[in-house]
Amino acid sequence: MDMVENNPAEFQRVPVRDGLLAGDLRRLDGVRLAGTRCHSCGEVSLGQNQVCLNCGGDQVSHVSLSDRGMLWSYTIVRNRPPGDYKGPDPFKPFGIGLVELPDGIRVMSPLDVEISDVQIGMPLQFRAFVQHVDAEHHEVIAFKFTGVA
Amino acid sequence: MPEVVIVGAGIHPFGRFKDKSYEEIGAFAAKQALNDAGVAWSDIQSAYCSRMYLPATSGARILRRLGSTTIPICDIEAACASGGAALRQAILAINSGEIDLALVLGVEKMPRGFMDPSMIYSPWQIQMGMSMNPAYWSMRAKRHMYEFGTTDLQIAKVAYKNHRNSVHNENAMYRKPFSIEEILSSPMVMDPIRLLEICAANDGAAAVVVASKERARRIGGKHINIAACSQTLAQYSADFRCPADSLSATANNMGPTEFTSNQAFERAGIGADDVDCFEVQDTDAFCEVEIYEQLGLCPLGEAGRLIDEGQTEIGGRYPVNMSGGLISKGEPVGASHLGQVVEIVSQLRSQSGERQVEGAKVGLAHVLGAGGNCAVTILKV
Repeated sequence: MDMVENNPAEFQRVPVRDGLLAGDLRRLDGVRLAGTRCHSCGEVSLGQNQVCLNCGGDQVSHVSLSDRGMLWSYTIVRNRPPGDYKGPDPFKPFGIGLVELPDGIRVMSPLDVEISDVQIGMPLQFRAFVQHVDAEHHEVIAFKFTGVA
Repeated sequence: MPEVVIVGAGIHPFGRFKDKSYEEIGAFAAKQALNDAGVAWSDIQSAYCSRMYLPATSGARILRRLGSTTIPICDIEAACASGGAALRQAILAINSGEIDLALVLGVEKMPRGFMDPSMIYSPWQIQMGMSMNPAYWSMRAKRHMYEFGTTDLQIAKVAYKNHRNSVHNENAMYRKPFSIEEILSSPMVMDPIRLLEICAANDGAAAVVVASKERARRIGGKHINIAACSQTLAQYSADFRCPADSLSATANNMGPTEFTSNQAFERAGIGADDVDCFEVQDTDAFCEVEIYEQLGLCPLGEAGRLIDEGQTEIGGRYPVNMSGGLISKGEPVGASHLGQVVEIVSQLRSQSGERQVEGAKVGLAHVLGAGGNCAVTILKV
């Protein structure tokens, strides 16, 4: 449990990308990935979009995606990513993968799983977390998938 | 459609040239292409410069070095497919009837290591550590290995082949053969892709002079026909490639290599079996593996067998990356497709020496990159 999670009044929280997360950011265990379901073609896309990214239709609903998924493919990041990476310092190798959700979408995500244990098909659990505090003193909420106990 | 032909080709070696500016590298390739064609810079009516990591109006900055001009010079960018996009613009301009002689130049000068992520990725992807192109390629490889049993050894064999081919290419960066053991014991970059199985960002330039058939006849010399030059963007969720943040689990669209090559084959009136030699996007060795399947050289899932049988070696049924590919040449992004085209021109002119595919009459060049940008060019004697 993040310490700051119990002090929601002190910081305003923002998602790592607008429209990417659904739910009240003050209660991280209720936060989910946001999605857009198209009424015309049925495709589900990541984030809150105004049109369907497949067919361009504008009859869409904003939905919360499932917090359980399965690893579809992955790789291990063994060197510190370039640019403004906000992960642990000193760098620690980690997995990233495509997590298949029952909603019909595979989402790219960092994996909070011991790198030697990562394998295709493993069940995974969504977690929203405070990634960093930005220059405006906002807590930036990002996500990862963890192993299922 | 009027036919468009290549009348001249030029290349500046791909590598790292810290003492040379991009202007110098680009002008070298352009001048060589003009000399090869036997035309003057002042004869060119329009020029296109393919580049991704260079400043605005790079084409004009480079080509002014060949003499003052008032012709239109445009920079063209479509990630790894930039060269195909530029060549296509020249073809369209000639086919429009407005011009009959154009220069197409690809050039790049890039820093070492991972590319600047902000060129391709959004800030949140960089912050979360999802901003390295090879990560996306590796996930494709892992899935292919899982579904079809493709092995580390089969992927290494592609790198082995390309490094070996590059020994005979004076324009490649490494030109050094590596054993399978050396490749498999090189450092892991992104599982399962190793250091000797991945291309390096570097510097280089390549250029062609293209003309209408009628203009080419007046110029004289041995011309190479452009049978097709197709450029497309991947259909929805048809390709998992940087900077994608997700992939549909339900859509079932044809991938960009298959889609673009089908279009090019149709325009050329031929199929994959009619092609004598291929230069394809081997930014990593696995990428070449899956391209075998997507170009139709073998059924889905059987690319490992194709490499095991040696069918993609020079002398095999489908020679691929005779030049050594991007794995050994490096990938100066804006120059890479035109570099492939220059290699195919050399093959079809039977000027490729030790790496010559005997009797090659038809060749195909393929690039695919960020955002699903894809280009396929088919050349014929």
